[in-house]
Amino acid sequence: MDNWIKLIEAAEAILNLPEGSIDGLSGQDNIESWDSLAMVNLVTELQAIFEVEFDILEIAEFHNIEIIKLVLMEKGIDF
Amino acid sequence: MEQINNFPLKWNAPLKKAVERAYCTGRLTDIRGALRHIEKLPFDCVGKSVVVGILRTFTIETLIDHMRLSLSIMPSSPTFVLGELENIEQELQDVDSDFLQANPDFILVLWRLEELYPLLISGADIMSSEQRLNALNELIQRIQQLVNEYKGEAPLLLSNFSIPQQWLGVIHDQHRHYGIAEIVNSLNQLLYELASQNKIKIFNFSQWLMSKGGGAIDQKMDLYARQPISSDNALSYTDAIARVLRPMMFPQSKVLAVDLDNTLWGGVLGEDGVKNLKIGKDYPGNVYWRIQQVIYGLKSRGILLVLLSKNNVEDVEDAFNFIGKMPLKLSDFSVIKVNWNEKYVNLIEVSEALNLGIDSFVFLDDQPFEQEQMRQSLPEVKVLNNRNDPLDMLTVISNSNFFDQFSIGDEDQIRNKDYKSEEARDKLKKGLSKEVFLSSLSLKAEIQQVKIATIHRAVQMLAKTNQFNLTTRRHNEAVIRKMLENNRNLLLTISLKDKFGDQGIIGLCIVLEGEAGDEMILDSFLLSCRALGRGAEDLLWSVVLKYLDERGCKLLKASFIPSLKNMQVSMFYDRLGMDLKSHDKKETKYVMKPPYFAIKPAWIDLKK
Repeated sequence: MDNWIKLIEAAEAILNLPEGSIDGLSGQDNIESWDSLAMVNLVTELQAIFEVEFDILEIAEFHNIEIIKLVLMEKGIDF
Repeated sequence: MEQINNFPLKWNAPLKKAVERAYCTGRLTDIRGALRHIEKLPFDCVGKSVVVGILRTFTIETLIDHMRLSLSIMPSSPTFVLGELENIEQELQDVDSDFLQANPDFILVLWRLEELYPLLISGADIMSSEQRLNALNELIQRIQQLVNEYKGEAPLLLSNFSIPQQWLGVIHDQHRHYGIAEIVNSLNQLLYELASQNKIKIFNFSQWLMSKGGGAIDQKMDLYARQPISSDNALSYTDAIARVLRPMMFPQSKVLAVDLDNTLWGGVLGEDGVKNLKIGKDYPGNVYWRIQQVIYGLKSRGILLVLLSKNNVEDVEDAFNFIGKMPLKLSDFSVIKVNWNEKYVNLIEVSEALNLGIDSFVFLDDQPFEQEQMRQSLPEVKVLNNRNDPLDMLTVISNSNFFDQFSIGDEDQIRNKDYKSEEARDKLKKGLSKEVFLSSLSLKAEIQQVKIATIHRAVQMLAKTNQFNLTTRRHNEAVIRKMLENNRNLLLTISLKDKFGDQGIIGLCIVLEGEAGDEMILDSFLLSCRALGRGAEDLLWSVVLKYLDERGCKLLKASFIPSLKNMQVSMFYDRLGMDLKSHDKKETKYVMKPPYFAIKPAWIDLKK
């Protein structure tokens, strides 16, 4: 499956959002359920899906989907 | 992957697959997927509703779905009520708090030293030993106060303490007075003391942590969101919590039915011959030896053992005699069914002989065929899943939660002896009329008010007795204590012994003061299935009526509340001469007015 789709689907599932409701700019400014608790779940889910490890500074910068994508790309995940 | 030992009855294959997948990956999306399947189940497949109250010093919100899954597979239907973070005492003491108003069935307190006393954790090295001692005393006082001032009915489950990550392996801390290691030990000692006084139950967090190793704590998430449990171990953590809750929700299984070949020893007796069986000090015989030790341990806790084996009975007797010294002897089994019948057929016969429901049985067998046949023929039997490998079998039987209970009472320990005596009674019974037979048993009974020493047994009986139980009300200890505070209430136990042995307390009757002062309400009346057919219920009834008469009771009200298992007593109050007042599907109501009259069984000698 395309990694972008994997990322979007994981975020929608963890944040309890309907399919198709998230894009690259979705984040803490426009999604109500995007809080630190949801972030714990999203981080652990993404680490499991992409088999990567985020460090705490990276997690602190996860303000929207696009940023997460960029961090994943830095870890060698193709988008 | 954690092994799921027993799926609830009526769960379909896609649901089981979804749950297995969730346990395999541990991923939240899979856990939620499994929960969505469970949500679609009809009402009768989801188990009873429970409200779990959680007070905590760290984030638990991210583990609620995990906990929901751990509890759902029991099965139960949990809802959760969370107290404010680090607001433990306030939530417990304020009866108007949203937390207590939600009427939790249990209250879990999940706390850590890191939050309870942060200064101690960050500054232990710059504190004097006296200051550290003061910190310890403050913590002790806080815990004692919390427990002593809690007046609610829901049992309190307190997590014990573990050494905080930054103090693990710090040598100098382990060699000084009131170091963090010593403080953790002292606090845990206090919790054990409170648990032994029956004031709390313990969730052994430190033991769970030890079993999981260093990876169980995720320091990154602990620092980021104060959520210390690593995602890989989250389901194991919530399973461990669910395991402690289980004995408060379900009766303990009473019987272990166990296979012989490749289960209690390695090899097949009929094929390999007794000399080639593997049992002893060396591998793999030592694994079977250990399995026997674990099973013997269950017997010591009052679990009845039944041997189910497809073999020639003479060969099995010879083998036990030939091998000689093994943890288990043939005499340890309450019933031995060694024949060529199907095991489920044997198990039905054993269940009838022991007078215990099929759902009281746990089955251990190495053969997947036998496991599956038992599962399909008798779905109520809990089959211990194992992969035909002795080490796996040892793990499964050691970790099984079906036999869990919070304490072992005298009655548990004499149960095995008593079922043995039952065999002797059966032999005597043959050829004698009922009354002559019962008189020949030299039955002696004692009826007493419930007191501190017998509260545990009373609660245990309320929790476990299904068949001879008129109302099946599962009161907990706090409720019983409260009932005892009113000296108009009558809470009586009956114990019984005969020439074959002492059965201990086998019956309980609870009569509560009604709204009108001269009116009493029969809340519970129950008798252990071990004691059926001896007339103990009639003796207890006659004593209850005598008390009511002495107390000037003008009206006794009683109910029969049908359950799946108590139909054998549906006409009990009719037989006792009570007047039927009303009847519907859920409840049959009776009344009785003076003069009270009951026939006392002549064959039981009542201790004055």
